[in-house]
Formats: sequence, structure tokens, C-alpha cells
Amino acid sequence: MKITRAVITAAGKDQRALPLQTIIDRDGRPKSALSIIVEEAESAGIENIAVVVHPGDAEAYAAVAGAAAVRLRFLVQEAPRGYGHALFCARDFANGEPFLHLVSDHLFVNHEARRCAAQLVEAAESQSCAVSAVQATRESTLTLYGAIGGRPLPGSANLHQIETVEEKPTPTLAEQKLIVPGLRAGHYLCFFGIHVLTPLVMEILERQVRAAGATGTVQLSPALNELAGRERYLALAIAGRRYNIGVRYGLFLAQLALILDGQDREEVLEQMVELLAARAARR
Amino acid sequence: MHPRRLIQIITAADSALRDASLDAACRGATLEELLAAAAELDAFWRASDNLYQRVRALLFLYALHRFHLPRLLPPAPGRRIPYDGYCHLLRRRFEEAIDVFLRAEVRHGPSDALSSALASAYHQLGFQTLASQVRRSVRSLCGNQWMFRVGHPADQPLRLRRELLEPDAASGNFPILSEHTPVRMDLSHSAWSDIFFLGMDFPEGARVLNVSIDLAVRGRDRAPQPPVNAYLRVLDEPVLRLVSIDLKDHADVTSVAEVFDFARDYLGLLKAAVIASGIVPPGMEGSEQGLAELFARMLGPGRGLEIASHVNDIPKGSRLAVSTSLLACLIAACMRATGQTASLCGPLAEEERRLVAARALLGEWLAGSGGGWQDSGGLWPGMKLIQGERARAGDAEFGVSRGRLLPSHRIFGAEEAAPETRRRLQESLVLVHGGMAQDVGPILEMVTEKYLLRCEEEWRGRQEAGRVLDGILAALRRGDIREIGQLTTHNFGGPIQTIIPWANNHYTETLRARVQAEFGEQLWGFWMLGGMSGGGMGFIFAPEAKAAAQEALARIMASAKRELQHALPFAMEPVVYDFAINEQGTRARLLEGSAALMPPGYYALLAPRWVKMDARALTPARRAELAAFGAASKSEPAFGRMVEVLFDHLVPSAAAEQQDGQTLAGLLAEHGFDAAQHEAIRADLRSGRLGLAQNRLPASTHIADAGAAGVEDATSGLGEEYRRIGLEALAAGRVAIVTLAAGTGSRWTRGAGVVKALHPFCRLAGRHRSFLEVHLAKSRQSGRLCGVPLPHVVTTSYLTHDPIALHLAAGGLRAYPGTLRLSPGRAVGLRLVPMERDLRFAWEELPRQLLDEQKQKVLESQHAALIAWAKKAGEGADYTDNLAVQCLHPVGHWYEVPNLLKNGVLAGLLAERPQLSCLLLHNIDTVGADADPALLGLHLASGAALTFEVIPRRVEDLGGGLARVDGRVRLVEGLALPREEIEFDLSCYNTMTTWIDVDRLLAAFGLTRADLSDAARVAAAVRQLSARLPTYVTLKDVKKRWGQGQEDVFPICQYEKLWGDMTALSEVACRYVVVPRRRGQQLKDQAQLDGWLRDGSAAHLESLCDFADP
Repeated sequence: MKITRAVITAAGKDQRALPLQTIIDRDGRPKSALSIIVEEAESAGIENIAVVVHPGDAEAYAAVAGAAAVRLRFLVQEAPRGYGHALFCARDFANGEPFLHLVSDHLFVNHEARRCAAQLVEAAESQSCAVSAVQATRESTLTLYGAIGGRPLPGSANLHQIETVEEKPTPTLAEQKLIVPGLRAGHYLCFFGIHVLTPLVMEILERQVRAAGATGTVQLSPALNELAGRERYLALAIAGRRYNIGVRYGLFLAQLALILDGQDREEVLEQMVELLAARAARR
Repeated sequence: MHPRRLIQIITAADSALRDASLDAACRGATLEELLAAAAELDAFWRASDNLYQRVRALLFLYALHRFHLPRLLPPAPGRRIPYDGYCHLLRRRFEEAIDVFLRAEVRHGPSDALSSALASAYHQLGFQTLASQVRRSVRSLCGNQWMFRVGHPADQPLRLRRELLEPDAASGNFPILSEHTPVRMDLSHSAWSDIFFLGMDFPEGARVLNVSIDLAVRGRDRAPQPPVNAYLRVLDEPVLRLVSIDLKDHADVTSVAEVFDFARDYLGLLKAAVIASGIVPPGMEGSEQGLAELFARMLGPGRGLEIASHVNDIPKGSRLAVSTSLLACLIAACMRATGQTASLCGPLAEEERRLVAARALLGEWLAGSGGGWQDSGGLWPGMKLIQGERARAGDAEFGVSRGRLLPSHRIFGAEEAAPETRRRLQESLVLVHGGMAQDVGPILEMVTEKYLLRCEEEWRGRQEAGRVLDGILAALRRGDIREIGQLTTHNFGGPIQTIIPWANNHYTETLRARVQAEFGEQLWGFWMLGGMSGGGMGFIFAPEAKAAAQEALARIMASAKRELQHALPFAMEPVVYDFAINEQGTRARLLEGSAALMPPGYYALLAPRWVKMDARALTPARRAELAAFGAASKSEPAFGRMVEVLFDHLVPSAAAEQQDGQTLAGLLAEHGFDAAQHEAIRADLRSGRLGLAQNRLPASTHIADAGAAGVEDATSGLGEEYRRIGLEALAAGRVAIVTLAAGTGSRWTRGAGVVKALHPFCRLAGRHRSFLEVHLAKSRQSGRLCGVPLPHVVTTSYLTHDPIALHLAAGGLRAYPGTLRLSPGRAVGLRLVPMERDLRFAWEELPRQLLDEQKQKVLESQHAALIAWAKKAGEGADYTDNLAVQCLHPVGHWYEVPNLLKNGVLAGLLAERPQLSCLLLHNIDTVGADADPALLGLHLASGAALTFEVIPRRVEDLGGGLARVDGRVRLVEGLALPREEIEFDLSCYNTMTTWIDVDRLLAAFGLTRADLSDAARVAAAVRQLSARLPTYVTLKDVKKRWGQGQEDVFPICQYEKLWGDMTALSEVACRYVVVPRRRGQQLKDQAQLDGWLRDGSAAHLESLCDFADP
């Protein structure tokens, strides 16, 4: 299996402005969040990238995408009909092949040499199946993510066979259905915001879009839950962390994480210490 | 018996051996064999890691020490119980207590005293082990665990569903989620097989036929409806508003700590639901946070939550699991609102019902209450069989217990109970609440104990109950309602009472007999709902008789209650229900827009406050709601009378009359209340001269055990010579009996105020007998044996005189052959609101039993609430906030004897029988005390003025004892001991039974027989002697009843003088005799009854009685 295409979804009602935010990357250069996400896809050797956008947003996105703008293809979701529907808008682009999918409201920091998307694509290619990146997440933030239930894949330290997918589960449900052996109590494997998906996902989404009628919404997690029941579907515990820039202080924390992982670490730490000292002196 | 025989029973894989009875195994065993078996068992439970083997071994040890060893141990007065072991017991350090008692046994040899202490420790450790396991299982259920990890508002993962967060655009009202839940009835009476412990050890035997029903109170409600309702909505202020419409209480809770304060108000159940549903998860206890931060996360900044409960005034004690159903209903609503169920409205899915049931268990544990596992049955629809499940690999219980905590529910289809059968069942069954609301906790403990011991009769009864259930299931399939009636009747008369005789009572017997007499063949059966009878009960009639039967039952119950209201603890007027099987189970609806209104009772409670508020202080949502409420009052029939109700609340009417038609002032005047003395006592109380701490003797007093000198030991019998002297005196008519019957059995009914003398406490010689009947039966027998009827005097008080007189006049007892006189009380006190100082002293300084962790938290919260109440009501103020008779108090049993002098009863007896020279005085609850000739002979031969009977102390005997005080042997009250540990040095306990020499007693008062006709002289003599005796201040639990069977218990201050202090008077010659326990045992607490019956004391009592039954 070879992955050559990537789809970034950015049409969500509350997410449209997030990819436009400017952030300093690990090399100390200001970039838009969109550029950083595109770089993530490119790090996995993918050049064929589509961004699903809200009508009228393509121009603004192209403007902040930097040098990659010319390579990006913008696909428009004409009406806000849900995350699953947004991804389904890229069905023709995917062209019946497996593809990499990234969300536009997350930034990623890798804890090993390979970037997060690269780790995932490599795993998917070697396992020849759909693989979603996951991160062990405390139950207190379960309401922000999709989560999986499953069991460790024999012989692998970081791959899991997915059996169930639930979108933003309550901890009550999670405890009953999503316990994964080997995790600390109160921790669940939640989506990281990067997936490698197979053409079957588009098939399932197509059926769901049809069933939803002209205006109904379609979510991705039910489709992924069905996928788990129909073909081999794995989860990869990524060596890295995701930062949800769509939540309160999310952008700030993502920025902090990038800086602390980059070349300007000392400089920023010094300024933070100064800030704290000044505050302490004021007291 | 082989020492390891009992261990073989416990560990046997073969059920025939495992189910062998302890009693059978111990039959014929020698003392040495039993002691060896006890030693083996003790080593076994310590080493065992299997929960049920441990628990069974502990219960075996309890039974050995409570029932089997005392029969064989030689009497050994003078043996003591180590105080440090007792302290361990109070602090629930049972293992340490056992170690201390066993060391004492090794050092001094086994004794009845040590066995009583060991029995108590093993029993409590056994039940603590079981309770801990249930709790662990509740916590470890999947879906419950996360709530114990959430320790801070920032960790709260739940969010309220969007549908509830958006106010209506037009009205501004937030939508209301309303949950409606039926209650459950147990059509089989499961022989209590739904107790968790039982289901977890014997899942195959834990089966219940459980039916969800809607209810209406006949004559009050129009049609049956789900009786249990919960309402939930968002508020536009950051508070948790809890409202109990039935208990007429509400509170705005703003801190997490307040949510965990269960006993602060009447909202404990709502708080438990808020916690168990995860809105304020149990892990947050102790996190000193405000709720605003939590709600900001869950609902948005500035918002709060309101939860209201309403059980349609179904009375407490209905045996329909109303409180568990309400808890489950509230939890279901809260879980729906926070997205923990798939659907916001409609019914729940099976998995969701199971989860709600598990959370209800958690809630019950948190609130310190507990029911059976069938009690959430109302969540499920229609008729279902609930049964225990074997634990399998993957279950939290696997390897720990044989069964799972939660049972399975199989809902019946038409094949198992056809619609026609269900209809006919409804046409035949009359459900009632008899008016008694009793605590069934002790019953459930007895059931567990008898199961673990596999007591022979009871175990056979349990198996029979299983067969009855099979019969009911088969009759249900056939549609044979009459057969069901026969089976439930057989179940009650057979297995249920075989397992627990106390499930029946005199009131139930009376009702059944009268209904049977009136309806004959048309009465198809009787059926006891749940824990014990007297509350919720069912009668099955031929369908054509149902309407008449409903009328008749209302009449019969009302008249029987009137007759027995002084003898049994009734909490409310009896009611007859209409009911219908609910085929839906719990359901929810979303009330939106102008329909988003709470039930009318909610507005009756809260709207008067809003109307009184400045309009500008009302939040926009509340203004919108008032507008909607106003509109509904004009258009909705359910809100039709709201204007009148509101007006009544805004302008309260004059104080209601006393329910019992007696005013306090009238009673005080009638019973010789001494206002001057009352004021003096109040002044002393407030100034600190009187109080619990001041009851004590000076610390310098030297108090030691009395020892053998001056104390006669009659535990192994007395010489024949004494018996001859006694018989002669009896035959000569020199003896009369005095039974003290002024009391209302505060411990017996936890302050319910029944006349203990008239309480039919036990079935003896085939019928329920009252204490008074038993005492008269003993006198009748003594009189018959010696050929001269014994005069019998019953001392009464303002509380007991009229009921006893009426009972005797109405022929409530068989005619007594001799003189029977009542000695009316001549002194009464007015209860006082306690001092904070005394409440604290009682709770902090006096030894008290520590409860298990959660119950202790609830108790501590109650203590804080009671101190706040005492301060608010005014410390030392007159206690008047109750029925008038509950505000008065008897002033101690010392006055009972002077009353005989003052009221002319003694003079009358002496005139009638001049040779009378001796009185036997005893408490109403010392049922074994009779005119024993040998003890009488001993007393007469000694020449003493007073001979007091004492018994060798057991661990439960608290309240002083026989002591050598500064060198003089006397009785000392527990209240007067300077230090608690002294009590455990006193090996003998006072029974209060006293042989009195009439002339020497009169001499102690400075009187002669001739003086008895001079009332002024007698009064002066009594006053003079009373001044020399100490006055004790005590706190008594007094029950206040209100609402639909609701009860509160308040610790109220009163004072008393006690008879035992006569022994402190140097001029009164006193003697002491140690008597066997079965003679001196006092029955203070209903929980003692079962052991008293099983250890042979009841049979002994029967042998002393002549009931003169036809």
C-alpha cells in the first residue's frame, strides 16, 4: 500500500479561522497554522494535498499557505453538513486510493526524529490497512475527541486493533466499551487528528450521506466504527503529542509546545522567568 | 465433634455438606470440643483469602460464642471484659478487639462475659467484611469507577446536553427534563433473597418476581400514575437548587462540601443522586471548591442546575421501594441530561437501566442507606423475574464471590403472564399501607445471619420459599389468580415466618382475622410486601368483591389502628391504593416553551417567596417562569387551585390545634407539673450546675468491683430452705408484684412513644403477647402454684395510664384472678431543648459506637445540624415543638415507689391484705422476673429492706452496676461513673428487680403503715428523701412525626431520679443477689429478640407463664 494523497478538513463552522493563525514554528519562523499542517503531510512524502474549505475561504487560505499554496487543491463543502460529509467532499480527489487525513485544528509535536504524519504513513504502508493515530488521553478531556476501544496488536508495542469508535464519549460509556488493556486507569486512546483511511471509508460515508438526505449531517466516527467492523483497522500510539488549537488557550499552548521543542527555547524560557519574577515582585 | 468439622463445612465443594447447619454440627458437642472448634475457626478466618469462607467462619464463631458455649460454660460471676477490647469494638477495630478478648480467655479461662464480647466482635467483623465487599463491587463496576477519580471541577468530563441549554426564544424558559418512574412490588415476597450478600453467595437461590406499578391513593388521586417523578432544568444563576416537593424543603447549594452534607436538610436523597450520577462525582468530596466553577465547565458561565423530586405523597414504609425508585429516577434524569444515556427522552435501553440501577446502589451507599437489588425494578417495564447471576471470568466479583453484585432481569412476555392474567390480577389485588413504618435493617441482618449459619428450619424455609415462587410463576402462566393468593398466603404463614418470626405482628394478625371473618371464601390470599408487615401489604380477593374489600379494608385498618395505636408504632393513617401494572418502565419527557412548568406542588412551595421578592431581584428566567405559571393557573386544570394555595402560604392561618386534642398546658396541669422546680432545673442547666458532665461522681471517689463479700450467688440455685420460706410467705399472702410500666420504650421504637407494657413483642404460646400480659401470666402461675392469688400493681405515667386503663377495661387481657391495681404517676417533667455543651459532651466525651465510614459521615452531619437546631430553638428552652405528650417526660423510676405511697395504692393493698410485707418490683422489660420462692426466701431470711437482683455482665450491659464505692457496696448508675472504664471493672449489672420489705421501706421514708392515710405527711416525707438523691440530666431520642410517615429524631434534655440510688442511703439495709441471665435479662431493643428467642429464654419464659388461654 502506498499513500500519495492527503486531505485536510477545514470547513467546520468554528474552525475556519484557526488555520489562518500565525504561529512561530520550531525553527523560529512565523508561519500560518495551515502551513505547519501542510508541512506535516509533506514530511510523510505526500505532495498531492487537498483542503476542504467553507465556501469563499479558499483565497484566504491560499494566501497564508506560503510556497505550498500552488500545490494545494481547495475543495468546497457547500453546506455545513458535518465532519464526515466534509471528508466525503474529497472522495473524487482520493480517487479510490488510501489517503492521509489531517484535521486543521490540531498541531503536532513529534517526540522522535520522524514527524507524526510520517510515523503514521509508514505504519499504514507496512500494515497495509487503515490506521488512525491515537494518544492516551485523560478521561477529563474525553468530550473533545473521538476515542477507540480495542486490544494491543500481538508483537507490536504501539499498534492496537480497533474494535469500537465512539465520538466524544462520556467516561461512563468509555469505561464500559473503550477500556484498552495496558493503559493507566482513567486513560483512553483518543484520536490524534491524523488518519490513514482506505477507500471503504468513502463507501461508508457515501451511504451515510445518502441516508442523511439533502440537508442531514454526517459524522466521521460512526463511519470509522463501521470500518472497524468490516476491515482491519489499527490505531498507532504516536511518539508525539497533539495540540488542539480550537479550545481555550489551545493556540497559546501549541505555540509554547513548539517553542519549547525548538531553537528559541532558552530565549523564551528566560522571558518567562522574567515575567514570573516581575509578577512575584509586584506582590 | 472433630475440631475441623466446622471448617470442612465451610470449605466443602459439595453443596450437601456446605449447606449443613452449624446447630446440627454442634449438637451434643462437649465444652472442650466447642472450644477447640472455635480455636480452629479463629485460625482459619485469619488465613483465608476467600471472602465468603472468611465471613462464614466469623458468623460460625459468633454463633458458637452467642448460643452454644454459654449453654455449657459454668456460671462464673466476677469475670470481666477488658475495657481496651471494648474500646476497639466501639472504634470498629474488631480484629484488635478479638485479639484482646482471646488473650483474656487464655489468661483467665473462658467465661460467659468474654463469650458475649467475642460474639459481638465476630458478628460485627463478619458484617463489616460483607459490607466492604459490596462497596468494593459497587465502586468497581464499569461505568462507576471514573467518578472516584475526578477530584477537581477542571477534571469534570460531563457536559449538559445542548437541548437543555437553550432557553425558549418566546418565553425565555429553559426546557425541563421530567422523568417518571413506577415503583416495584414483589409479587412473590422473595424471602429476602434480594439481599446483596445472599445474591452474591447463593445466586441460584436469589430470585424475585418483580412488578412495576403505578399508584393512586384511594379517595385522593384520580387514577394510578407513575408515583415517582424527577425534574431537571438549567438555571440562570450558578447554584444547585434542590427541591423536595413532598418533604417541603429546598436549598440553593453553592459549594461541593454542601453537596456531601447529607443530613443537613431533607434533601439527602437528591444530593446522593447528584453525586451518584456524576454531576458532582464522589471523588470531589473534600475538594473545597465552589459549584460555580464546576457548572461553568458543564453548563457555561453563570449557569446552574435545578433538580426537583416528587413522589406524589406516597407514604414512607410502603414496602414498594419508593426511596430507591426515587433515587433511581433522579439518577436517570441526571444521566440523561449529561449525555450518559443515548436518548434524552423515552425509555432507557437495557444496558442503561442496569447502569442506573448500579448508580442507585452507589447512591444508597453514599447516603448511608441500603435496599435490596430488586428495589430499582421500577426502571424496567411490566413483570419480570430478577435473579442472581454466577460471577464469570471478567466480572469484578469473579474469584471473590460466587455471584455477581447486579442480578439479571428477564421481562415477561404474554406467554409467562398473559395480558388477561395481568388484568385479572389488578382486579383482584387490594394494596394497602397499614400505617406502620418500621426500620427493617435488623431484619435483613438476621436473614443474612441465618443464611450463613444455615439454621435448619430457616434453610428449609428458604428452599420452600423457592418452591412457592415456582408455584406462583406456574399459576401466573395458567392465569390462576386464586392459586397465587393461596401461595402468597402459604408463603407468609410458612417460610417467611419460619425465617423471621418478627415479620408478622399483632396488627397484621388482627387485620387478617377481621378481613377473613368479613369476606370468607371471597378472600383468596394475603401477601406481605417486602421487609416486614404492618406497612405495605396486599390482599387478594375474588374480583367481584374488590370494591367492597377496598372500602372494608379502609374501615378495618382504621379501627384496628385506633385500638392498637398505643401498643404499636404507627407512623400514619392507613391508606388503600389503586394500582395498575406499568408496562413501560421509567420514561422521560422534555417540557418546552410554555409547557416548561414544574408540578403545582413546586409552586406552592417556592412561588410565595418569589411573590414577596422585589421584582428587580428576580432573574429573567424566573420572571418568565412566573408569567408562565400565572398563565397556567388560569388555563390548566392541574393548576386550578393555585391562587388559594398561594394565598394560604402568604398569610399563614392560626396555629393548628394539637393533633391529639390535648394541649400542653392542660397536660401539665393534669399531671402535677411543678413549675418552680422546672425553673430551678432550667437555671441550673443553663448555668452549668446541672449537665451530663455534672452527673458524675467526683473523680476522687474510689469505685471497685463489689467482689463476693455481701453478694449472694444464686446462678446455680439456692438452698431448699430458702425455697420453703418463700413458699410459705407466698401462701400466706405476704407478697405483691409491682411492674413498672410508666415508660414508652424509647429504645424499643426509637422514641415513637408507644406504651411498652401494651406492646405485643413476641409470639408466646401461640399468640402475640404484650409485656403486661406476660407479667400477669407469671403472677397468675405463681398464685396458682401457691394457692393464693398475687396482688399485682402496675405503675403508670401520664403517657401510659389511660391506654393501660382502657386496655384493661376493654378486656384486652384475660381476667386476672387477684387484685390488679394501677398506680398512676404523680410527677411529670417538661422536656427542654438541650444545651450545646451537653450535645457535644454526649458525642465527643461519652463512648459511642463508631459507624462504618459512610454512615458515620451522615451521623456527623446530623450532629452539626442538631447543634444548629438547639442554638436556634434556644438552649434550655421548653421543648414544645411536638405533640403535647411528646413534650412531657417521666421523671425517673425512683418516683414510682413513692407514688405508691402518695396515690393510696399501697394503703389500699395493705387494707385489703394486712399481712402483706413484701413487694417484688421489676421493670416492664425484665420479662424473666417472677415471684421465685427461693429468692423471696433469701430476701426474707436476710432481713434486708431491699434486695436487688443483679446479673453477670455481658458486653451489651451498659449503664452502671454493682460496685464498692468508697468501701460501701451499692449500685452505681452509668451516668454517675467518673470514667467509662470503671464500668468494665464491675462484673455485675443491675436488673432493677428488687425485693422490698414494706415496713423497712416506710421506715426509710420516716413513715409507718398508719401514716399512709396522712397525705401531707407522706408528701413531706417523699420530698425530704428525694432531696437526698441525685438528679441526673439525660438526653433522650424523641421522635417527631410529620408529612406522609416521615419522622425526625431529636435528642431532648430531661432529668430523672433513679431507684438504684436508694442503695446509696446508709440507713437502708440493702442486699444483692446474682441471678441467672434468663431471669434478669432486660429486653430494651427489638434487635435483641431473635437471639433471646434462639437462646432458649423465650421457652423458659413460657414455662413461667399461665396465659389462661381458653
